[in-house]
Amino acid sequence: MCVDCGCGKSIPFGVKVLSVLAPGLLRGKPATGAGAPDQGVQTVTPAPHSPLTVEVHASLLAKNDGAAARNRARFVERRMLALNLVSSPGAGKTTLLSRTVDEFGREHRCAVVVGDLETDNDARRLHRPHVPVAQITTGSACHLDADMVARGVEALDLDGVRVMFIENVGNLVCPASFDLGEAVRVVLLSATEGEDKPLKYPPIFKSAHVVLLTKVDVAGLLGFDCQLAIENIRRVAPQATLIPLSARSGEGLSVWYDYLRQRLLPT
Amino acid sequence: MHEVGIMESAMALVQRHADEQRATCVHRVVLKVGALSGVEPDSLRFAFEVVTRGTRAERAELVIDLVPALIFCGACRTEFPGDRGAIFTCPHCGDLCGEIRSGRELELSRIEMS
Ligand SMILES: Nc1nc2c(ncn2[C@@H]2O[C@H](COP(=O)(O)OP(=O)(O)OP(=O)(O)O)[C@@H](O)[C@H]2O)c(=O)[nH]1
Ligand SMILES: [Mg+2]
Ligand SMILES: [Zn+2]
Repeated sequence: MCVDCGCGKSIPFGVKVLSVLAPGLLRGKPATGAGAPDQGVQTVTPAPHSPLTVEVHASLLAKNDGAAARNRARFVERRMLALNLVSSPGAGKTTLLSRTVDEFGREHRCAVVVGDLETDNDARRLHRPHVPVAQITTGSACHLDADMVARGVEALDLDGVRVMFIENVGNLVCPASFDLGEAVRVVLLSATEGEDKPLKYPPIFKSAHVVLLTKVDVAGLLGFDCQLAIENIRRVAPQATLIPLSARSGEGLSVWYDYLRQRLLPT
Repeated sequence: MHEVGIMESAMALVQRHADEQRATCVHRVVLKVGALSGVEPDSLRFAFEVVTRGTRAERAELVIDLVPALIFCGACRTEFPGDRGAIFTCPHCGDLCGEIRSGRELELSRIEMS
């Protein structure tokens, strides 16, 4: 699941842009670390001797939530539908997005911000002349945060873009806590995983607007019980729109595209 | 693992409050961590050690108040603890679609310093 970094540094990440319209490289900009070493140990005024208790009750996600709210406002202002795609590693996010930008993307301009621990393979797979793509390498972070997304988005040429796909790092736990400013959270469950995944990771499924049951083309072959998986998703996430599909055979893709069309922001 | 980043946010708050109070030493930092927050207490403790090193919170004690998951069943209109595995089955009706009422907390509750 999460990669243990333990470096104690603020997590560095890089943004790399692959786009014909906005070629350029912005690698290695460090995140602005909140926990800079304390310089002010010797304060000017002597401290009071009695111990002092301060009740703070502040959310530790406040910084991210603030950045997410700014992203959200920006997406709305630009009349852009933003989707955050979350799944276990390998559930088929990049494959689905590649096909989506090829098909749906001909109709409505799409852009992609994709997060990965190390490589920019996914950005290369997604890159098309008509699709601006920004790769964010998160280093050791197991999820995208709203600041990273803001940088990725800023680096892109957004002219005419109606849909912003954000492919999160493959992980079902950590992304649940990090709002990116998306309008739609999409959780993917593939037929190569267990039917009981939704029961094991309820928070992420409960936060989903859409659950995509992917790779249904191989379900039969693998003895994956689609009915049971659907039942589990419905029980854990009754609020979510559920779409079984295959990015390989194309089954269910028209339903997915219809969903995207319905959610587009009027310009 | 994002515990280091979370802890950096916490310590930034601690330093700010310590500055405001002109404290020279932080004795105790109390966090509230929900069972469903996706954060591991052990990783938090490790991150705390790393992040406080060389600061006035270096010798501070980290207290983690764990908040159990509490699920609300809409059908039965009752709350029940979501602690049997990760399966939030309502003990009364067997429903799974309960709302998470608590367990997602991730906050800095209290700082003790002088
Ligand atoms: N049979 C089948 N295989 C698929 C389908 N979609 C993706 N795959 C395969 O699943 C593997 C992983 O797909 P990706 O699209 O890279 O998955 P991902 O979620 O982007 O993976 P990460 O970014 O590493 O988390 C690849 O080998 C794909 O060819 C599908 O609809 N059917
Ligand atoms: Mg991918
Ligand atoms: Zn019930």
